[in-house]
Amino acid sequence: MATIPEAATPPRPRPDLALRLLRLTTYLVLGFVAFVVLLPFIWTLLTSFKLETDIVQYPPELFPRSLTLEHYSDIWHRIPYARLLLNTLIFAGGVTIVSLIFDSLTAYALARLEFPGRDVLFLAILVTMMLPFQVTLIPLFSLLTQLDWINTHQGLIVPRATNAFGIFFLRQFFISIPRDLEDAARVDGASEFRIYRQIVMPLALPALLTLGLFHFMYNWNDLLWPLIVTTDTSMQTLPAGLALFMGEHVVEYGLLMAGSILALLPMIVMFLLVQRKFVEGIATTGIK
Amino acid sequence: MRAKKWIALLLAGVTLAVLAATASGRPAETNALNRTSEEVTITFWNGFTGPDRPALEALVNKFNAANRGKIKIDMSIMPWDVFFQKLLPSWASGKGPHLVGFDAAQMPQYADKGVLAPLDDLYSKGLQKSKLVASSVNAGRWNGKYYSVPMNFTTLLLYWNKSMFKAAGVKGPPKTWAQWQQAAVKLTIDKNKDGKPEQYGYAIADHATIPMWPILLWGNGGDVVSADGKRPMLGSAASIAAVDQWAKLVIDKKISPVGLAGADADNLFLSKKAAMEVVGPWMTTGFKKAGIDFGLAMVPKGPKRQVTLGTSVHYAVGARTNSETKTAIYKWITFWNSKPSQISWALGSGFPPTRTDIPASAFEKNPYVADFARFAGQSQFYLRNVKNFSQVNGNVFESSIQRILNKKGSTRDVLTKASKQLEPLLK
Amino acid sequence: MRGSLEAVAGQTPRGRFRMELRRLRRSRLYRRRTLTAYAFMLPSLIILGVFIVWPMAQALRISFTDFNVFQSNWVGLENYRKLLNDEAFHNALGNTILYAGITTPVSVGLALVFALLLNRKVRGREFFRAAIFLPVITSLAVAAIAWTFLIDPDIGIVPYWLEQIGIQTGGLGEPTWAMIWVIVVGVWKNVGFYTVMYLAGLQGIPREIYEAAEVDGATTWTRFRTMTWPLLTNTTMFVFVIALIAALQAFDQIFVMTRGGPFFQTETLVMMIYRLGFSEFQMGYAAAVSWVLVLLVFALSLLQIRYFNRRLVRY
Repeated sequence: MATIPEAATPPRPRPDLALRLLRLTTYLVLGFVAFVVLLPFIWTLLTSFKLETDIVQYPPELFPRSLTLEHYSDIWHRIPYARLLLNTLIFAGGVTIVSLIFDSLTAYALARLEFPGRDVLFLAILVTMMLPFQVTLIPLFSLLTQLDWINTHQGLIVPRATNAFGIFFLRQFFISIPRDLEDAARVDGASEFRIYRQIVMPLALPALLTLGLFHFMYNWNDLLWPLIVTTDTSMQTLPAGLALFMGEHVVEYGLLMAGSILALLPMIVMFLLVQRKFVEGIATTGIK
Repeated sequence: MRAKKWIALLLAGVTLAVLAATASGRPAETNALNRTSEEVTITFWNGFTGPDRPALEALVNKFNAANRGKIKIDMSIMPWDVFFQKLLPSWASGKGPHLVGFDAAQMPQYADKGVLAPLDDLYSKGLQKSKLVASSVNAGRWNGKYYSVPMNFTTLLLYWNKSMFKAAGVKGPPKTWAQWQQAAVKLTIDKNKDGKPEQYGYAIADHATIPMWPILLWGNGGDVVSADGKRPMLGSAASIAAVDQWAKLVIDKKISPVGLAGADADNLFLSKKAAMEVVGPWMTTGFKKAGIDFGLAMVPKGPKRQVTLGTSVHYAVGARTNSETKTAIYKWITFWNSKPSQISWALGSGFPPTRTDIPASAFEKNPYVADFARFAGQSQFYLRNVKNFSQVNGNVFESSIQRILNKKGSTRDVLTKASKQLEPLLK
Repeated sequence: MRGSLEAVAGQTPRGRFRMELRRLRRSRLYRRRTLTAYAFMLPSLIILGVFIVWPMAQALRISFTDFNVFQSNWVGLENYRKLLNDEAFHNALGNTILYAGITTPVSVGLALVFALLLNRKVRGREFFRAAIFLPVITSLAVAAIAWTFLIDPDIGIVPYWLEQIGIQTGGLGEPTWAMIWVIVVGVWKNVGFYTVMYLAGLQGIPREIYEAAEVDGATTWTRFRTMTWPLLTNTTMFVFVIALIAALQAFDQIFVMTRGGPFFQTETLVMMIYRLGFSEFQMGYAAAVSWVLVLLVFALSLLQIRYFNRRLVRY
């Protein structure tokens, strides 16, 4: 089960009292931390099974007085859930795939090829990470309007199709890959693209999966961008659908929480699938 | 590892199965292909998320069905924040909606920028102004023209928890400020004397809320700005006196927690931790479901006036809308404000109708509607003629109240300073 | 090194000829490689250029105007001059520094502790790791609503529990508590990410180093201070820079939980930009504030990188 080699654990001496105490404290601390961290999720999950009238009450209770599945059954009538999910998959999935390709190409050039202006370019790319999104919103919006990209999939995906964090992350990883293999390939006359595709990319799989998870979750959860680019209801994504339960005056907490649990499930599935490669992926990025 | 993979697969399977099961249950979307060339499409944006949405969608569908082939309303509902972020840039780039619904208080800001079409001819062509709630109609006027017309309307009323009043031996509902303040103090209970009451007399929100504090200023003859929106009134003796006495009740007698958002105040009443709240009709459903025995009453009479807040979402039309589309929009607005539509809207949303000529008997299924309609004549709109609504309300008024309640200065000092801050915003 | 070799080679005519040939070949190779490099980067550069750099440049231009989405007049440095005396800006700058100044070290510190604990052989380690990482993959917008409910001083369950053991907390309506709560949620959201980074860093430390120390009989604390910590410098740098950028751009939970209130006491620079830009439509001024923020983030990131680079340990 364990995937990390026990780096920091010294060869174990006899379990004396001090050590046992230490282990006990470790568990207590970890247990407490896990509880605090998970509390909002526990609350969200349990609330999604509460009757609407039991959600706000005093004294507050974590556990439902009586279980109900009504929010989970209602949600399908209140928002076109399957459609929203599909749209979100297209958007988040599209951005993730395209972005992984573009980010890795750029990162490869920055890490492996020597060319004039490389360092300046790298710094310039980093700077784009430092600008809050709100600043470019209006110019970006009018640009998309001029391109007539409002309400289109390319409008949603293309502006997000590469990103400084991804380039930064993959560059660090590529730098750490030993050069021997590709040098041999170069001697054999392989093109740079072939080296990238057949040598570096397969080696980078854990890092790509890790970054893919980040891109995916970021776009999966994003409310503002899809709503800015699309007005067409048939193109809306899950967060926009969930926002429909937050009225100006009345928030339907039961439905909102049930909906967010359903929106979280695919992310958890992704995480569990990727998790094994995950720490490994970062460990090899050279940012250690 | 194997176990985890199985769990993941299982989760994925369940998600997919649930999706498949529900996807088939969706009704088919209206077919866009059978549109004829003469059909006028009205793009309509608003922020009616939440429980009012179905009632609105039902009327849109009804209108679309009745005008098939001629007019189609293409409605986008989005959270208000997103709505306001998108609206102006969209209009600036020429791709904005034909029709919007937003709070009447937002209108002057947009009318002032010249992005709204005047709608005076709507009132001359069919929609009878005299049949609508006067205060709401007036809220659509800016610089002598009508730029927006009522979409919904409501007053706020005093909700009072009958059982809590009974338990405290207080007769309700209060009719005057004196009775109101006495009741609020009496109903505030701090059993364990830790300085944090277990029960509050009157939950009053100071931000992210339907305006609650301005009603208190009005009752004493004060206001945030003058009726014409030109002069600050926060520094007036009447305003200071009103804020001062209520702030003292909050600070010294703890009749309400400090710094509540609208939703917090609602939740206090909902969890029986507050005995009174002044709020709109949207809370009746939740309170009733929670089994609270509440009564509705007009906001008690202040030293100078008996008044409550009136508030409306209005329709407004983009300035670049062509006349053909505008005619179609007028048809929709007239349909919306017709008697049958307003009855169905009122019963669906709990809001009173925008018209004053519908008898209370039409709302027997939801008696609260009639309660909220009854005091339309005593309602006042907040910051009616102010183009910098969000600065005046958010930056100056709400934060001044919060400063006072957090004891960051005396009422007089804070409000006098606030009054000065208002001056450049009212020009 | 390369230069000195060429100098030697260029001493004889034959050598000179060979050198010329090599230089020619190299420059052709060089040019080709440059071309290849730019071909690799082309898609990214176009996208970044069109959809980020161009709007950024627009924002810079806007910061010298009084743009309000409809009209635009050139006002020169007026917006920047206005910043200097704007109380609201000073307040937002102060809040941002306070928020980032607490959130960054606290998140990084906690992440290090968690990573050290989780790098040991503890039962259920994968569960704990997943638990700490869970906030990273959730939507902060919904999580902030859950938090608002949990910490409500009157009906929330956390204050209710704390009261049983005699601790009283305040709500989002009180300035100090509001800041504390948005920091708590900010730390909660990101600490899992930094923990994973540290775990990866710890994994990269060669085991032999510890084995040597074991022979020397070093205590746990000494081992950490003299080996683990210095060897983690690179991770710490990366995590610190990322954490600082994230903290300086804090927005989501503040937007949901306090909207910058009460009376602007939790208004950060990004919140202020949002307010100026989207509820007051002072786009020119908002753009000026944004550029100040960019410079601040950039300067602090560079400072950090330089600071850590000086104590970098290679192994």
